[in-house]
Formats: sequence, C-alpha cells, structure tokens
Amino acid sequence: MFSGFKHSLSTLSVCILCLLIPYSCTDTEEPDCCEEMPSFENTPFDRKALLKSWADDIIIPSFERYVKSLTVLNDRATDLTNDPSMASLENLRESWLDAYSSWQSVSMFDIGMAETIGLRNFTNIFPTDVDKINETLNRDSYNLGLPSNFVVQGFPALDYLLFAFTGEELMQNKLVNTKYTDYISTLTERLLMLSSDVLSDWKSSYRDEFIRNDASSATGSVDKLVNDALFYYEKFLRAGKIGIPAGVFSGTPISDAVEAPFSKIYSKQLFLAGLGHFKNFLNGELTNGTISDTHLGTYLDAVNAEKDGTALITLMNKQLDEAKLLGERLSDNFQDQVETDNIKMLQTYDELQKAVVLLKVDMLQALNIKVDFVDADGD
Amino acid sequence: METKYLNFFLLFSLSFLVISCSNDTPDPVEMIEENIGITAPDSYSFSRDGSSTISFSGQTTRIGMASELISAMKDFRTSKAQLLEMFANETANGGDASPFDDNLLNESTKSVKSKVAASQDYFSSNTAESSSIKADFENWIVAQVDEVFPNETELASPSKAGQIADGSSARYVNAKGLEYNQAVNKSLIGALMLDQIINNYLSPSVLDAGTQIADNNNDIVAEGESYTIMEHKWDEAFGYLFGATANPSDPKPTVGSDDSFLNKYLGRVEGDSDFAGITAKIIDAFTLGRAAIVGKDYELRDMQANIIQEELSKVIAVRAVYYLQQGKNALPSDGNEAAYGGAFHDLSEGFGFVYSLRFTRNPDTNNTYFSKNEVDEFISTLTEGNGFWDVSPDALDTISESIAAKFDFTVAQAGS
Repeated sequence: MFSGFKHSLSTLSVCILCLLIPYSCTDTEEPDCCEEMPSFENTPFDRKALLKSWADDIIIPSFERYVKSLTVLNDRATDLTNDPSMASLENLRESWLDAYSSWQSVSMFDIGMAETIGLRNFTNIFPTDVDKINETLNRDSYNLGLPSNFVVQGFPALDYLLFAFTGEELMQNKLVNTKYTDYISTLTERLLMLSSDVLSDWKSSYRDEFIRNDASSATGSVDKLVNDALFYYEKFLRAGKIGIPAGVFSGTPISDAVEAPFSKIYSKQLFLAGLGHFKNFLNGELTNGTISDTHLGTYLDAVNAEKDGTALITLMNKQLDEAKLLGERLSDNFQDQVETDNIKMLQTYDELQKAVVLLKVDMLQALNIKVDFVDADGD
Repeated sequence: METKYLNFFLLFSLSFLVISCSNDTPDPVEMIEENIGITAPDSYSFSRDGSSTISFSGQTTRIGMASELISAMKDFRTSKAQLLEMFANETANGGDASPFDDNLLNESTKSVKSKVAASQDYFSSNTAESSSIKADFENWIVAQVDEVFPNETELASPSKAGQIADGSSARYVNAKGLEYNQAVNKSLIGALMLDQIINNYLSPSVLDAGTQIADNNNDIVAEGESYTIMEHKWDEAFGYLFGATANPSDPKPTVGSDDSFLNKYLGRVEGDSDFAGITAKIIDAFTLGRAAIVGKDYELRDMQANIIQEELSKVIAVRAVYYLQQGKNALPSDGNEAAYGGAFHDLSEGFGFVYSLRFTRNPDTNNTYFSKNEVDEFISTLTEGNGFWDVSPDALDTISESIAAKFDFTVAQAGS
C-alpha cells in the first residue's frame, strides 16, 4: 500500500516516533506504521481461480459426497423402522460411520448457507445430552431448530441412540418403541435436509457469488473461507476433538467429552479424517489424489511466504504431519486414551497447537488476512 | 538518589504516557516508603497482640448472595418471588426469608439490595437516585421471569424475547437482545462492589467518621474485636474485591477466578498485556494503605485509596469498552437474525459495565468520571428502538471513544 515511501526518511522518523509513544512498551503489538505488508502489486495472484478451484474441485464435490452418504444413512434408518433386525441395525451403524467421516470433510466450510443456518451446530455438537434426548424423544412435539436443542441431534445423538446399548438390548428394549425409531429417522432426515439445502444453494447461486467476491478484504471470499478453516482447526479439531477431553482448558481431563464416546472405537478415526481433510484443503489435494493447480500453498509461494529460509507451506505441512504422527499412535478409543495415558493426548494437542502459530500468525500475515474470530471469554 | 528523583519527576510529568509500562521506572510506592518510614508487609496480614485484625465476612456473604442470585436467574424453574427474596434477603412483606441454597447465607441478616447504590459519598443524600437504581435491578429480575422465561422454547427475533445461539450454546434475551442476567451481574459490579469499595469504605467520610481517628491513634479497638474501626472499614473495602479468595493474604495468584464480579474482571484486565501489572498495583495500594492506618499516617492512607479508586474505575471502563468493541465486531454484516447471539452476549455484558460507570470515581475531583446523565445517554443509545438488534457499529464506537477519553488508554488497547 504505502510501499512507495517504505524506505523514505519520513517513514523512518514516523517509526522512531512510534517507539516513543506508549504502544512501544507492550511487546505483543507492532506499531502499524512499521509493519511490512506483502506487496501484492508485484506478485499478482489469481484469487478468482483459487476460489473457483475451492468451489468446484473441493467444496461442492465434498458436499455432494456428504449428501450422498446421508441419503444412504436416511434410507437405512427407514429400513430399521420397517424391519428392526440385527442386520438392518448393523447396516445403519455402518452408514452412520460413513456419513460421520464424510462430515469431517465439509465441517470447515462454514460459509454461505451453511453459516446462515448454522449447519455445524445442528450436526456435530458434543457431548450430547443423553437425559434431554430421552426426554425429547418421548414428547409429542419438539423444535429441533432451537439452539437449546443442538445437544439432542446430529451425529452425537445418533452415536448415543445406536451405540449406547448392545444390539440385543436395542432389539429387546429400544427399537420396539416406535418413538425411539421415529426419533432416529427424524434426526437422519434432518441431517439430510439441512445439508441438501446447503448443497443446492451452492449449486444454484452461491458458487457464483462466492467466486465473484474475490476482493482481498475482510468480506472477500478468500479471507472469509481461510478464517472459517482456521476457526474450524482451532476450535473443533484442536480443542473439540483433542484439547477439551484432554483437559487442556479445564485442568482436569473430561473423558466423556470425546467425539463419538458411545461407539467408543471411532474417535481417532474421526479426528484423523478431520485433520487429513484440513491438510488437503491447504494443499488443494482432491479425493482422487490429484492436486489442483491453485491452492493456499501456491498462494503462499506467490507471495514468497517463508520462515527461516523455508517455504511456509512446507513448514505447515511438516507440523501437521507431526500432529498426525502422534495422533496415529493414540488408542482408537480416545476415552480410553484419556483415562489411561492422557499425556499422549496432551502431546498430540501440543503438536496441533504449534501449527496454530504457523497458520494464524505467519500464514495470515503473509496473505494479509485479518482474523475475524475471537476466543470467547467463557462466560 | 538524584537520578531517582529526576526519574520520579519524569514519571509524574509523563504519567499519562507511561502508566502501562512502569517496570523500568522507580516505584513511587517505594519512594514514599523511604520518605516516611512506613513499610508495607509482603502480604495482606495484620495483627494486634498476636491475633489477626482482618475481617470482612460480611463482604464474603454478599458476594455469595449475589452469586446465587445470578445463577438462579438462569434457572427457568425459579419464581419471581424467589429471585426478589435473593436480592433483598427478606420476603415481599419484609419478613425473614431463606431463599439461598447455602444456609449460612440464609442465616445472615445482610442483603445485596441494602448495599446497592448505598455508598456514603454518592448516595447518602441522594436517596432518590439510589432507590431508582435499586428499582432498575428489581425490574430486570422481574422482567427475566415475566418476559424471558415464558419464551424459553421460542427463537428470539427483533421485538421478541427468546433464545438465540451464541456459538454452540443458547442465550436467553429480551425483546431488545439483552440478557437480563448479564445486566444484573455486570451492573452489580459497579453498583455493589465498586461503589462500596471506592465511594464508601475508602472514603475519609467513612474511615474518619466519629472518633475513629482518635480511636485509631490510641489503638482503641472495636468492642470485642482486635481491630480498630478504621482498620475494619479498610478491610471491608478489600473484602468486596477479595472476599471470595481462598487465600486473601496473598490474593494475586488466583485473581480472576475467585468470583463472577469485580475480582473476575480485574483478572481479565490484568490478562490484557496493555494493562498487565494493574493487580499488583491495586494489591500493593491496599497493603500499604492498611499499613499506613497501623502507622497512623492518614495522608499516605488516602494516597493509596486514590490509587485504588482510579485503578478500579479503570477496570470498569476498560471492560465496558472491551465488550462494546467485541459486540461491534460480532454484529453480523448480512443481517442474518440467527447470527446475532454472539454480539448480544457481548453487548449484554457491555450494558452492565456501562451501567457501572456511574459508580466510578476520579480521585482528582472525588466525583464520578461519568455523570448520571452521561450514563443514561449511553444506555438509551444501546436500548432505543429494537435495542441490540439495530444498534449501529458507529454508535458503539462513539460510546467507546467517550469512555476511553476519560482515561489514559485507547479504545484499541481496551478493545482486544
């Protein structure tokens, strides 16, 4: 922006003045005038092409796969209602895992209609509220659109309904109650309906709006989606899946707060899926293994984003791989891991946290993107 | 020494610049100690003939009552009568009430209400305003039950009370987007804790009342107690800030996590690097001021009171600006009604801190930094029309600027 007189004497003296005013004594904040902004004029980057690739190569195909997996889930829920057998229960459980894994590929795209309707809040808020689920499913009417009912729906509620009891118990005591099976169907139908709405909005109009909005500003699509992805990484991946159950924020481990605690053996799988999809998004890696021509990595390279002589994208990938490596060594069952050897959870968290610095400080600085979310102060 | 005095002079002349970075300048407290020979002990511990002279159980009790009140306001099973009894610790007819879970609180004859807007300096001859402030609290409490509780399972929208999402949790707001429980919680910080500390117990009008100077000079203790009345008054001020602290003789390590009121938000301000050190400054002033009472040096005592008055006023102002700015940043740009919840929560907290500004005190004038009219105007800007649903970012900035202008911090420093 002011690159014309970046090295001129007047700026130098402004900088010296900056040192004299009281901001200089807070070591966290750099005076605005002395900060070096990346100069986009010299290294043009085609943000429109980036947005197009995100929409057409990653976001829309991911939502398509997700909606497809929910269609199967919903059909199988209907099958179970019609024929409450062990076989249909197994089929339903399998499709639940499939759809839940697929969700991990779209959770970070909290933009457009997904943001407007609060898709993530209705899909994957955990821990779920077991007492409230039992109270709700026995009611004649309830409103799943209320924020106070985030905790009685989505995948976490289905985890409870389908896995908290053995197959025999479900057959004998639960699935004989039509309110129980109806509630399962209501939840799967709702997941399908909400995500179908989001997908059709992308296809009918939002895609074009998203790509058109290619400005480098807080309201531009690039800035917004990068913020969404980082918010997802920090709050839902790092904190939600690892940090909170490991007790990073509370001081005491909360093993009940893991993702999918009732099915027990999928928490690691879901975490690794989320981490993998996040890394794929950074690197423009598509599900078929090909790499798109334009992605955050190429954007960072275009602005010569480096740290200590190494490309920033390389450092970020290395750090995410480090986190993945530790994550892979955890038990399939995070509840178990927290209760028996929580240190390994904490170590995984630490590696995830190291990437936050690269992502939120170095990357955003290099791309001149302002963080648009704050950590709530918890009251 | 010469350099030290030069620095001291510089410190004074530049005090508007260097308040937040006093690490490398001589500590004025230390200078004063050298001059008059009174030394503050390392901890807030004072005794006479081997027994502690510190007591502030009444303050601990009131913090406990206020805590139960604000949690009960979020419990939809609570009745209006119960909430009002928790506020007044008596029945509507003035009879004895037992509204609290904690029986020690029920046994007490103290109450929150009797000390709301009740300081000697601001309200003893201003009972009209005092009673209208008490009425504000009662109105918020009643409205929570009348307006918000019936709409527990309704979505809030402009001019309709109900619930709204703030991240993954639900907040319950009135028709203007205000959480009454936050209004009560944050306004109590000003109307109860701050007002009692800085406009009552730390004021010469309370510390020196009656024969208290002569009594303190002659170590005449209160009947049946180990402390002089003056010592006790000072400790009661301390108790409104640290009365819920596990180890009050050294309250610094846990500041911010001991209650949901002034202690908590002193901790929050301390956590902002622009204001780091404020806790130590306040605790040091409390300790040296108390030592000054023991040493019969009332000038030194009042200098410490002034430090506390200024710094605690600043805590309120910083948090008011902080929440208004956070609320501004969280307002959805696209007008999506479902996305207002985060902003409403911030603005509800901001509302209470703005309300609390009335109780601040500028030691240079011994009067509030913000007149009743100024605060009323801020509040009316926040609540006019559909309230938080249509408050403009510009209006929030204007209020923030007006608040920061009275202190030595900027909106940017307080806002993040």
